[in-house]
Amino acid sequence: MASDSGQDGLTRRELLRRVGLMAGGSVMYQAMNSLALAAESPWKGPTELKGAPPGASVLILGAGMAGMTAAYELRNAGYKVQVLEFNNRAGGRNWTLRGGDRYTELGGETQHCEFDPGLYINPGPWRIPYHHHGILSYCKRLGVALEPFVQVNYNALLHGSKAFGGKPQRFREIKADYQGQVAELLAKATHQHALDSLVTREDQERLLESLRGWGALDSDFRYVAGDVSGERRGYLKPPGGGLTARPESGTPIQLDDILQSGLWRGVSSGDHYDMQTALFQPVGGMGRIGEAFGRELAGLIRYQAKVTSIQQDAAGVTVHYDDASKPGVSQTARADWCLCTIPLPILAEIPMNVGEQLGAAIGAVPYASSVKVGLQFKRRFWEEDDHILGGISYTDLPITNIGYPSTGFHANGKGVLLGAYIWGLNAMEFTSMTPGERVQKAVEYGSQIHPQYKTEFDNGVAVAWHRVPFTQGCYGMWTTEARARHYDDLCAIDGRIALAGEHASFIGGWQEGAVTSALDAVGRLHQRAVAQGASA
Amino acid sequence: MRRTLLWLIPMLCLWLVPAFADDSSFPDTPGQDPVQSGEQIYMQICQGCHMPAGQGAVGAGHYPALGGDAALAAWKYPVLTVLGGRHGMPPFGLPATSLALQELRTVHLSDAQIANVVNYIRTSFGNHYPDMVSEAQVAALPHPGRR
Repeated sequence: MASDSGQDGLTRRELLRRVGLMAGGSVMYQAMNSLALAAESPWKGPTELKGAPPGASVLILGAGMAGMTAAYELRNAGYKVQVLEFNNRAGGRNWTLRGGDRYTELGGETQHCEFDPGLYINPGPWRIPYHHHGILSYCKRLGVALEPFVQVNYNALLHGSKAFGGKPQRFREIKADYQGQVAELLAKATHQHALDSLVTREDQERLLESLRGWGALDSDFRYVAGDVSGERRGYLKPPGGGLTARPESGTPIQLDDILQSGLWRGVSSGDHYDMQTALFQPVGGMGRIGEAFGRELAGLIRYQAKVTSIQQDAAGVTVHYDDASKPGVSQTARADWCLCTIPLPILAEIPMNVGEQLGAAIGAVPYASSVKVGLQFKRRFWEEDDHILGGISYTDLPITNIGYPSTGFHANGKGVLLGAYIWGLNAMEFTSMTPGERVQKAVEYGSQIHPQYKTEFDNGVAVAWHRVPFTQGCYGMWTTEARARHYDDLCAIDGRIALAGEHASFIGGWQEGAVTSALDAVGRLHQRAVAQGASA
Repeated sequence: MRRTLLWLIPMLCLWLVPAFADDSSFPDTPGQDPVQSGEQIYMQICQGCHMPAGQGAVGAGHYPALGGDAALAAWKYPVLTVLGGRHGMPPFGLPATSLALQELRTVHLSDAQIANVVNYIRTSFGNHYPDMVSEAQVAALPHPGRR
């Protein structure tokens, strides 16, 4: 019974999440009341707030995607806007580490990124799906150039440490052979009349025809070595030109081997709504968005400001903060309203006079443990030797991903790839290591997939999100139960304070969650400010 | 039985839960065998935030130092914190097979493991609390996800 309600909650949540994505988060609440209508709504374009009450001011805490989206819109609407940011840069988790950058994690370890010019790693978000209309629209308005992010590369690898003797398999072959043999099974079941009670005779003919096409089956509905399957799985010796042209077919991997290997799990990775082609990345690193926002909002953002208390009264909100450039001297900022995007683990420890419900919600969201490792190699061996240009290889090793750069193809010189993207217990373990140990472990694990690691490794950086001073975790994790109990309270305006960020969204961990949450919050804040302005 | 399930289930089920900002549809296998001793659990999980010498850390916010923390004097406080989490800290007492465990991508520790790690913390980093917590004492406290 508990699991039933859990499943229902999950399904409804997923549905709402999708509706929110398609229609833009700012209409999510309306969408909840009229699902069918909202599901058909196109993206309505940028929010255009207008008509701030004269002299009205908003203090924004945090210059990440949510805070800067809010600052941009509220400034354009005529509000007096001020942003306080802990870091000495704009962007928050929108962040790119490049050669020459320095990063000090909690505990005091400092890493000096030694990547070659033009090479980088995104410790946080690294891709933007086509349907994240909010963040895409800010890229457009801010002039942030985009390029394709290769999510699915059929020539990338699937690796099970205990499967096929530890030898990585090409995604293309696993997918074609899995799909082909599943289609063959279904065709057999159809021919043996096992589906007679489920599918009409006429549709069985259509089904068989579709299975032949979907699975690359031959005229007898078999998936066998040859030209038909070769056009999906590739060849032992691919077709070419001239006298050495004749192709040779490979032998399909048997279905039971695929099933037992577990590699079938990797087949659908690019089918997830958030991972479907097309995806994009900013040219030069994800951090280009935060940098562009920072330039756009120059003069409005106060950097190196550590918030120490948030107090509201009948007329406005006062925030105390320490200015890192003037240690020991507490500074004060005040405005009519406050939009707070501070990550919840940090906000939970800051004295703040809000109602019991919002207070409980702020304390109810644990943050995920996650680790990313960027590795520079002396050459792009994954391209030169393995012919993998972009995309991701998946493994059951703790590193889970090897992400190949979607840019700079065929470049001479060094290259940087994502050497690990770790979650759960493994992430906790990696977080407990020193940065140097994390890099070393990522190299050790990765060399099981690409033996070239051993000779080509140059240097690396490792970001463990629980050690990141400005978030203390990767992103907010909601249980179905916690969301039912606290989510609306977290998003509701409390007096003169509203919260925004990916934690206040149904798209946790995605920049789109931050953007749509900010648009939703400033819309409601604006309404309230206008109503008050009129009554005053 | 419970110990075997403990690590396996959440990992195998990860791919069932949608909406994560990554696509680790592969269940990654633990890099190390599950551990029992309080010191090992601390080194594997806790020190990521509370630091190797239990000194905590300060950034925009802070992780509390465990050495000399007066809140550890009463054993129930650290046990309840490990069981249920606190603020951004994930809970470690969720049932091994619960949906919530998958949703939070956290780890299930047994009552014995929690007793061990709390005993380790209360006798390390300059702490000298003599009263040891037992598995039964942990089991008797409210666990998250239990009704």
